[in-house]
Amino acid sequence: MMTDVIHNLSMGFGVALLPINVLFCFVGTLLGTLIGVLPGIGPSATIVLLLPITFSLSPTGGLIMLAGIYYGAQYGGSTTSILVNLPGEAASVVTCLDGHAMARQGRAGPALFMAAVGSFIAGCFGTLVIAFFAPPLTEVALEFGPAEYCSLMVLGLVSAVALAQGSLLKAFQMVFLGLLLGLVGTDVTSGMERYTFGLPDIYEGFSFVSIGMGLLGYAQIVANLERTTKREVIIEDVKGWMPTRDDVRSSWKAILRGSVLGSILGLLPGGGAVISSFGSYALEKRLAADPSRFGKGAIEGVAGPESANNAGSQTSFIPMLTLGIPTNTVMALMLGAMMVWGIAPGPEVMSKQPQMFWGLIASMWLGNLMLLVLNLPLIGIWIRLLKLPYRLLYPLILLLCCIGVYSMNRNTADILIMAGFGLLGYIFNKLDCEPAPLLLGFILGPLFEENLRRAMLLSRGDPSVFLTQPISLALLLAAGLLLILVTLPKVSRTRDVAFRE
Amino acid sequence: MNTRFKSILVALVLPLALLFASSALAQNYPNKPIRLVLPMAPGGAVDVTARIYAQKLTETLGQPVLVDNQGGGGGSIGPGIVSKAPPDGYTILYMSQSSLYTAIVHKLSYDMPEDFAPITWADAPQAIIAASPSLPAKSMKELIALAKAKPGKLTYASDGIGSSAHLTMELFKKKEGIDMLHIPYKGQGPAMIDMMAGRVDVKSCGIIAVIPHIRSGKLKALAITGEKRSVAAPDIPTLVEQGITYWHGSWKGFLAPAATPKEIVQKLNTEIVKVLNSPDIKARLAKDGIETVGDSPEQFAAFLREEKVTWTKAIKELGIRLE
Repeated sequence: MMTDVIHNLSMGFGVALLPINVLFCFVGTLLGTLIGVLPGIGPSATIVLLLPITFSLSPTGGLIMLAGIYYGAQYGGSTTSILVNLPGEAASVVTCLDGHAMARQGRAGPALFMAAVGSFIAGCFGTLVIAFFAPPLTEVALEFGPAEYCSLMVLGLVSAVALAQGSLLKAFQMVFLGLLLGLVGTDVTSGMERYTFGLPDIYEGFSFVSIGMGLLGYAQIVANLERTTKREVIIEDVKGWMPTRDDVRSSWKAILRGSVLGSILGLLPGGGAVISSFGSYALEKRLAADPSRFGKGAIEGVAGPESANNAGSQTSFIPMLTLGIPTNTVMALMLGAMMVWGIAPGPEVMSKQPQMFWGLIASMWLGNLMLLVLNLPLIGIWIRLLKLPYRLLYPLILLLCCIGVYSMNRNTADILIMAGFGLLGYIFNKLDCEPAPLLLGFILGPLFEENLRRAMLLSRGDPSVFLTQPISLALLLAAGLLLILVTLPKVSRTRDVAFRE
Repeated sequence: MNTRFKSILVALVLPLALLFASSALAQNYPNKPIRLVLPMAPGGAVDVTARIYAQKLTETLGQPVLVDNQGGGGGSIGPGIVSKAPPDGYTILYMSQSSLYTAIVHKLSYDMPEDFAPITWADAPQAIIAASPSLPAKSMKELIALAKAKPGKLTYASDGIGSSAHLTMELFKKKEGIDMLHIPYKGQGPAMIDMMAGRVDVKSCGIIAVIPHIRSGKLKALAITGEKRSVAAPDIPTLVEQGITYWHGSWKGFLAPAATPKEIVQKLNTEIVKVLNSPDIKARLAKDGIETVGDSPEQFAAFLREEKVTWTKAIKELGIRLE
């Protein structure tokens, strides 16, 4: 097997290092980074715009470029999360928590650095995982049925509570509110429309981008503007990008754990990359010597999730290439592009188009390297961008959010929805409620419900299926354990406080 | 001549001039880009086919034909936009039968096909009735026998309530008198995974996505829709061969807003049919199991009316309601 892998990888690098493909890789990653840095505009919108152009390119080159845009955007997305507290994509929400806290302490540089380095290491790990395990990994994806997904979502939802810094009760409330918001739209299982009030704009429910931009973008800007009476500089004096020895020591384990977690979870359709970043955060918080640092600038809270979502974005190619099953919107678009080129993704791709397959894998590693080299010097530029007076910065952010939201569906209603959530976010801010658990509840809730009902349909109403399937049981036990571990310290701390009084 | 006579002359001549103006419009058409609305998100098989047509049409018409994805609402948003667009031939729709089904089941802001001017029936992609390898049935007859022996035990997947995968299977169940449990999914991917793993038994799948899995043995094929076997999969017997003649396949067509002038509809029809009949497009699509049609506006309009009647009746009988 080792010789196979070496043979495959060397063939792959032979293709990836062709000058034209290196160019495509560079263009893709550069474009991806730019898109990722701009809040609101994501890789899906970019790929759709570029689709007509890619048709005239060779399939390998086109795929390399599109892939570069996708994982490049993950790199760029962490930049906006850290600097402006705006997640470029669902998977970057977690990076906002500690990343932006670090930025507020003047440590944006180390945060960006560790995010970039962590992503690169995770990328290398992901490439090796794909090279060694691509065929057996598809079997893993097949083992996950509705019951397993449902239990995975339960684990994810419990992680959401673990994210909470403040009041546990408020975190639960926000998660449930997110679940309720996720209900809006057409239910898959029954075809019923829920809470759509006859508006076709929300037949499919709210979009994550509208809610995320509204709650995090608008609300934050309004809150910041309120504070300008103090003439406060939002980002304190930034002291450069070198991380301290402490930083490196705390982060390297987080990076490794995140890489493994992300590689596995990225394989799963729908929310795999999101769960891996949230899961990594919860894991790091749980394993840390002093969990109370999380939310206030703990670097593991940046390094872990960033590695996880980069590893996840690489392994999410596997189900698309080997099974023809896209795990998210971007993969669906690439699938479409491959079909236009006349390549049917599926089990035949590895055997019938080995050069394209391995060329793509090799170029992903190359792309990761390019991104590291590209992003490190750019950190200085991003930081300088931040030092712009806020009165110039915030209209730009608002505008980009609007463009991003509009670019999803060309529907102005989405912008109004975003504004509505902006107002809601402002209220949450005043009430000291965090939006992150709400976003997680919003993403995972519908997935949880869809899989719960499908599992029950298939088991003819027998709920024991969640406990009899081994993977499902394992996930539920992990969720139960996490729940206990998360609530216990808080419970005992309150008891301590009560005792002292 | 005096002014009075002149004004009468103008009053008589002007309407005649306007009469010719509409055909002049058709002669100049198209002189700016055309917007091709697709009622689905980018990336799927239908989207891919539409883009192939759009590219070729851009070449033959000399004007860019721009694909505008307006997904959502179960395929109802796209037609809604086109039904309200100016009827000047610069906004047209490429839709599949799912949008018609959605329009029958839901009360929408437009009537299909009444608020549209059908241009042509573009293509009829074949669908394969695929089954899990663990299912002990190799043909439709065996499936029916198995379902009769175990009523309610077999399951079938669909792309959602009201999708063609759902409606065609429900019709099949009714006609054959069998009972199978319906499991709706949000997309073809997860449904195929569950079928491969044996968690769900049968699904009517679009040919492009499912053929690689049939070739690799991860799924098996019971039958294929359409008049004749597919070039892409010659050893899969058709439903007709197996005695099932009532199964409606899927279809895709081009439509324009209802008030679009006849000359422009005719011009679009001529150009699109040319594209549909061109050898390179035909070959490209045949590889994916898609056969192009390309009939006249009147034929397509008649077909749509017939489909609406059939499915309105069927949906009522099957008791499929969404609220």
